[in-house]
Amino acid sequence: MGKTTYKRLKGSQSFRQRLLLATLSSTPIIIDEIRADDMITGLLRHEMSLLRLFESVSDDCVVEVNETGTRLKYKPGIIMGGKNLVHSCALTRSMGYYLEPLLVLGLFGKKPLSIRLKGVTDDPKDLSVDTVRNATLHILKRFGVPSEGLDLKIEARGVAPEGGGEVLLTVPNVQSLTAVQWVEEGMVKKIRGWTFSARVSSDFEHSMRFAARGVFNNLLPDVHIFNDHKSGPHAGKSPGYGISLVAETTAGCYISADTAVSCGRADETGEIDVERQERKPAEDTGVEIASWLLQEIEKGGVVDSTHQGLLFILCALCQQDVSKVRVGTLSPYGVETLRNLKEFLGVTFSFRPDPSTGTVILTCVGSGLINLSRKLS
Amino acid sequence: MNTRVLLLYQKPHFIFFPAYAMAADDLMSSQKSHRMRKSGPTMRKKSEIDKKKRGVADNKQPNPRAFSVRSVVKAKRLKIRAVEKEQRRIHLPTADRTYGEPPPFVVVVQGPPGVGKSLVIKSLVKHFTHQNVPEVRGPITIVQGKKKRIQFVECPNDINGMIDCAKVADLAILLIDGSYGFEMETFEFLNIMQVHGFPKVMGVLTHLDKFKDVKKLRKTKQRLKHRFWTEIYNGAKLFYLSGLIHGKYSQREVLNLSRFISVIKFHPLSWRTSHPYVLADRLEDVTPPEKVQMDKKCDRNITLYGYLRGCNLKKGMKVHIAGVGDYSLAGVTALPDPCPLPSAAKKKGLRDREKLFYAPMSGIGDLLYDKDAVYININDHLVQYSKTDEENGEPANKGRGKDVGEDLVKSLQNTKYSVDEKLDKTFINLFGKKTSASSERKLEADAQSSPEGSDAESSEESQSDDDVDDHEMDVDSNDGKIKEKTELRGGRLRRKAIFKDEVDDSDEDGDDDDEEAEDAESDGNEDEDGEDESVSDSQDSDEDDVEESEDKVLGNISKWKEPLKEKGRKKNPNLMQIVYGASASSATALINENNEISDDEDFFKPKGEHSKNLGGGLDAGHVNSEDCSKFVNYGNLKNWKEKEVCEDIRDRFTTGDWSKAALRNKNSVAGDEGEDDELYGDFEDLETGEKHNDHENMESGTNEDVEAAERRLKKLALRAKFDAQYPFLLECHHLTILSTISFADKSELEDEDNDNGDGINPRNSEAKEPGFVDKLKEELEIRKQMNLLELNDLDEDTRIEIEGFRTGTYLRLEIHNVPYEMVDFFDPCHPVLIGGIGFGEDSAGYMQARLKKHRWHKKVLKTRDPIIVSIGWRRYQTIPVYAIEDRNGRHRMLKYTPEHMHCLAMFWGPLVPPNTGFVAFQNLSSNQTGFRITATSVVLEYNHQTHIAKKIKLVGHPCKIKKNTAFIKDMFTSDLEIARFEGSSVRTVSGIRGQVKKAGKNMLDNNAQEGIARCTFEDQIKMSDIVFLRAWTPVEVPQFYNPLTTALQPRDKTWTGMKTFRELRSEHNIPIPVNKDSLYKPIERKTKKFNPLVIPKKLQAELPFASKPKNKPARKRPDLDARRAVVMEPEERKAHAVVQHYKLISKVKTNKKKAKEQEKRKAYEAEKAKKEVVSKKRNREERRERYRTEDKQKKKMRRGQD
Repeated sequence: MGKTTYKRLKGSQSFRQRLLLATLSSTPIIIDEIRADDMITGLLRHEMSLLRLFESVSDDCVVEVNETGTRLKYKPGIIMGGKNLVHSCALTRSMGYYLEPLLVLGLFGKKPLSIRLKGVTDDPKDLSVDTVRNATLHILKRFGVPSEGLDLKIEARGVAPEGGGEVLLTVPNVQSLTAVQWVEEGMVKKIRGWTFSARVSSDFEHSMRFAARGVFNNLLPDVHIFNDHKSGPHAGKSPGYGISLVAETTAGCYISADTAVSCGRADETGEIDVERQERKPAEDTGVEIASWLLQEIEKGGVVDSTHQGLLFILCALCQQDVSKVRVGTLSPYGVETLRNLKEFLGVTFSFRPDPSTGTVILTCVGSGLINLSRKLS
Repeated sequence: MNTRVLLLYQKPHFIFFPAYAMAADDLMSSQKSHRMRKSGPTMRKKSEIDKKKRGVADNKQPNPRAFSVRSVVKAKRLKIRAVEKEQRRIHLPTADRTYGEPPPFVVVVQGPPGVGKSLVIKSLVKHFTHQNVPEVRGPITIVQGKKKRIQFVECPNDINGMIDCAKVADLAILLIDGSYGFEMETFEFLNIMQVHGFPKVMGVLTHLDKFKDVKKLRKTKQRLKHRFWTEIYNGAKLFYLSGLIHGKYSQREVLNLSRFISVIKFHPLSWRTSHPYVLADRLEDVTPPEKVQMDKKCDRNITLYGYLRGCNLKKGMKVHIAGVGDYSLAGVTALPDPCPLPSAAKKKGLRDREKLFYAPMSGIGDLLYDKDAVYININDHLVQYSKTDEENGEPANKGRGKDVGEDLVKSLQNTKYSVDEKLDKTFINLFGKKTSASSERKLEADAQSSPEGSDAESSEESQSDDDVDDHEMDVDSNDGKIKEKTELRGGRLRRKAIFKDEVDDSDEDGDDDDEEAEDAESDGNEDEDGEDESVSDSQDSDEDDVEESEDKVLGNISKWKEPLKEKGRKKNPNLMQIVYGASASSATALINENNEISDDEDFFKPKGEHSKNLGGGLDAGHVNSEDCSKFVNYGNLKNWKEKEVCEDIRDRFTTGDWSKAALRNKNSVAGDEGEDDELYGDFEDLETGEKHNDHENMESGTNEDVEAAERRLKKLALRAKFDAQYPFLLECHHLTILSTISFADKSELEDEDNDNGDGINPRNSEAKEPGFVDKLKEELEIRKQMNLLELNDLDEDTRIEIEGFRTGTYLRLEIHNVPYEMVDFFDPCHPVLIGGIGFGEDSAGYMQARLKKHRWHKKVLKTRDPIIVSIGWRRYQTIPVYAIEDRNGRHRMLKYTPEHMHCLAMFWGPLVPPNTGFVAFQNLSSNQTGFRITATSVVLEYNHQTHIAKKIKLVGHPCKIKKNTAFIKDMFTSDLEIARFEGSSVRTVSGIRGQVKKAGKNMLDNNAQEGIARCTFEDQIKMSDIVFLRAWTPVEVPQFYNPLTTALQPRDKTWTGMKTFRELRSEHNIPIPVNKDSLYKPIERKTKKFNPLVIPKKLQAELPFASKPKNKPARKRPDLDARRAVVMEPEERKAHAVVQHYKLISKVKTNKKKAKEQEKRKAYEAEKAKKEVVSKKRNREERRERYRTEDKQKKKMRRGQD
């Protein structure tokens, strides 16, 4: 074997996707100039933690980070999966950050993945675990992922800054994904929600629920929001509460919105995050998220803007058939995903805007990635 | 006449005397009455006719009870068996992802040397195209029918060529010398093919005219056929070519063979459908000549041409050139098909004009299309005025005087220099032919470029390989649009016709890779653009060829649509550019910047953004922006509590207006339609048009969109089936097909209504319910139609961008930095296979395979002996370690492969997906006797490490024994080692089990040596005991693989890689090392001396008397009984004496007898020896005689065969 040729990239942007796609397409990468000019140079804690997670899920991967953390050399190994894995996530980001790449990675492992993640379960920046459980997993099923063995169990809540939450993720592995034709949005037939409160009074939950349902009053009667009040060891280490709303349509689309409220976590520089400081009352949070959900519904598309990236990745990983999906306005993350897909998998999408609804229909031919590491039975 | 008369005579007889006759009957009762025939052939015939008349169907079985159910159990079993057989026949349908025209099918002609491979190809080509091929070199593509093209490839005689051929063959024609029988090559080739996915196989027996005896011929044919069948399957086609007539196979037989070839159906093979590959039919060295002049051994840039097969090829894909190595494609361009299928027209068969064929390596075929040039090869005999004539000095005026035009043309031919140069030299002379020629020659001499020499060279080469000697054709250069470029390549003088407007492009290509890639993308458009720019040019007669080619590229889209398309593209709201950056067609200004960026390979962003966005924020352009999928902006949320605001999205909920909601989707599609209309003007595609109608229909039924869409797709699938059945209809008239389809659809829809959408095919539905496989097939078909529908909507550029190059397109692949040996040792007779590499297949790792030694290979394989494997597209040498899986899942190393069993093989190499087959060799040389394939195998999985273990037995001796504890020495060498084995179980030879506890250093005296372990046993052991520890030690598989570079050396040389131990030993004369301990020696055992048993006194006292040792002190003197003298009585003495006498007598007698017998035996032996000598002599004589005659016969036979 000759020298390995590395793909050279720059900056910390879309770090997760780069790692994910590099692993799936087994392309060794070098990322330079990671936050070279920033106050805090180099890889952040959660990024290191993500690297650890990739290491634990795959075998034989080589990760080299220089002293300042501004340069990363990553040579992907073989995705193993496996049972009884445990990973404690860095508390700077919540579990949604880790779950998004992990869900896709687990599909292409040698063995079904079953991993216990510990850390922050919900925060406003990333997908909450409730959303992952109730919306994201449904998106995966659409691509031919078997529903048995695909599960996320929330065992303990934990919010920033201390975390202490625990979830158990199981992902089956697949031979390949099937292409989808998913342009039908359908009509919202029911809205389900999940609120939680940890180490705070359940009154917060009630007021959130009440406020959120009030927003939907005009539109839909079939709204149900479950509450989940945790206490004791299941409540994690910090106080907080949050809400996740999922709208299900007649065509089987899941549109979601979520947030969590907790104490701000200290930045690495020692400052408290600015936006976290101003905490809104629980009612306002409920109204806000409900409105956000409606906004997402208004935008259209078969998934909400948060899931666009995942949707595109899944489309690109399909067999060599045409996938066609409809999304609302392209989110910046979605656009970044599209660029990364072209870079790593050579999958280009074609776009057809739909002016009457303000949506975009994306078409692509899957890269035909098959699960190479699965053993021949 | 006679009968008639008789009848006339009889009739009145009966009529007139009926009563009398009756009476007579009664009276003559004894006479037998006429009995109708009840059986026999006549009766059977009669009854059949009768039945037919009556309209009774005859379906009576001869013995209806014969097939009745006797036993229910048996019947059930039979039924089960029948069903199982049926199921076994069924294959899982595979998705066919090849859209559009298929590439020519590869027909590989294979056989041992001297069996007539080239002759078969020549005959077939002659049959199909009426052209003679002087020599078969490289693939020969021919248009065989209206929908079918074939590429003939002759399989070279070495194993590397055979492997590569087996990987590309769609049909293999195995030629077998009938007079000789099967040869190893045939079976080797069969085995290689079986491993790499079994293509269709047809056997052809040749040399059958060697048989004089018809019976023998028949017998041989039968024998060979049956042998062939056992190897492939019963009923495999074996064809006979009876013999040569005037050095050719008989026309009739070639015709039959061609028919068999043309009806064969090809099925997809899994490896090939997932990997693109190109069988190159042309190779050009495009290295800048100055670079080559500087250094002859510099790395070369080459271009390879061929049809793309397998699956679609995307731009960034890496490829493997068989026998060379892995390369990334520097450029891919789709070229117009050099051997296109005839245009669709309603007619039977092919016209002679359409019987094209293309074989650039064989030096035939008229046109060569390159990216930016068209090469025209003209045969010698087709061109009257040729330069060779001039150079030979004899004017080619055959009887008649030459006209002025010809002279002019000839002078133009010889133009080697531009007009300016000529003016400098002032030698211009258009009309005086002789002078002009001489002037040319002078010029040439001046320039020292020696084109004559090259010409001579070319002519020499053309003589040698019967190549077509190119000569310059006159090109009308009236407006200077076309330039000529003469070059010597591959031994042929070739002229490149360069179009002026493309000159710049080609120059730029050389400079800028990015742009070149762009060119590659939009080849078709480039053509269009060129045409638009120079409409007047396109009218020039000399661009006809190019225009034709364009037509072929564009296919159905005729010219009038082009402006529309152009317009549409401009209008396209280009979200693609926004997302992927303005890289492509526009913005030449950006290219420089891109170049700057390109070395760090960042995204397609203008550089300005980089510097601008360093501040931070959520901008996508920022390199260090936060990685966050949520894009939350709560600031501009609407107040959804207000009713008016809610009204906007009211219809997105089930509580809203359902019809409006349905309209939302409809509108969107309609909107698309509108856009399409904008795109294409009033041009409407067949599909879209129908879709539109469909939607109008659907609007009546409100919320059944899903079903409607499904139905539409089913219809499409049905149409595809229909098309497949009646292809000619599609080609001739779209309108007619539309009507037919609508008919079919109607019937289908009705059908659906009846069956609740169960039966798709009316025939199917009435026969039985469609099974699982039918449903799968239907699904796949629907999938395909959906894909086609989506892809057809896109314009050509985007389609290539999204889908990659489609299979069946003729590609030009540019590859940089190939070793010069590839060009130097290029042999057109060997196939050049370029295979695409999938994701992760270029990295190396450990592979685990299920391997079986081939039953015909004589020796077993040894672990760590290098083998050469052919796997995927690659061939490489690697070092396997064989293993077998134990009951508990452990992989135990094997020193040798088992004889008739599968075993596991682990080796290091470039990864391939599981379920890929491979074949192993040890020796590639052609002069090896015996079967070269050593093993066949299939890859099970790959891993980053191997888990092979081998048994290890550590032996130790006790050095100190306490109660149940013993200190064991010699087992370990260090305390560290002991730490590793703490807790593992040990055993003594006598079977006492124990456990390793700890290093026993501190327990013993402090000066004790290292490596003494404290062990505990279940009982006390003895100092004489041997203690051993059984353990497993992991075995490392060497990380070695060595790609075969057979294309980088002369093809007749055998590739040598790593040698086996055996080979090295025999080369260096090293004896096999012998482990002394492993030798068998006579066992020497000392006799054991046991100490006397000592019973303690205390115990002795308690024992019963019987068990008590009777302590008798040893006597010094014999006892009294022994010492006592016996005195006999006189009678007694007498009797004793008599007995003694008798004894003596008998003894003497026996002695005498023995002596006599011995004497007799001796005599007999002597006699026997004498006889033996005689008979031996006779036998030898006899044998000598027999061998002599046999040898004579053999010699005679051999002479007869030769």
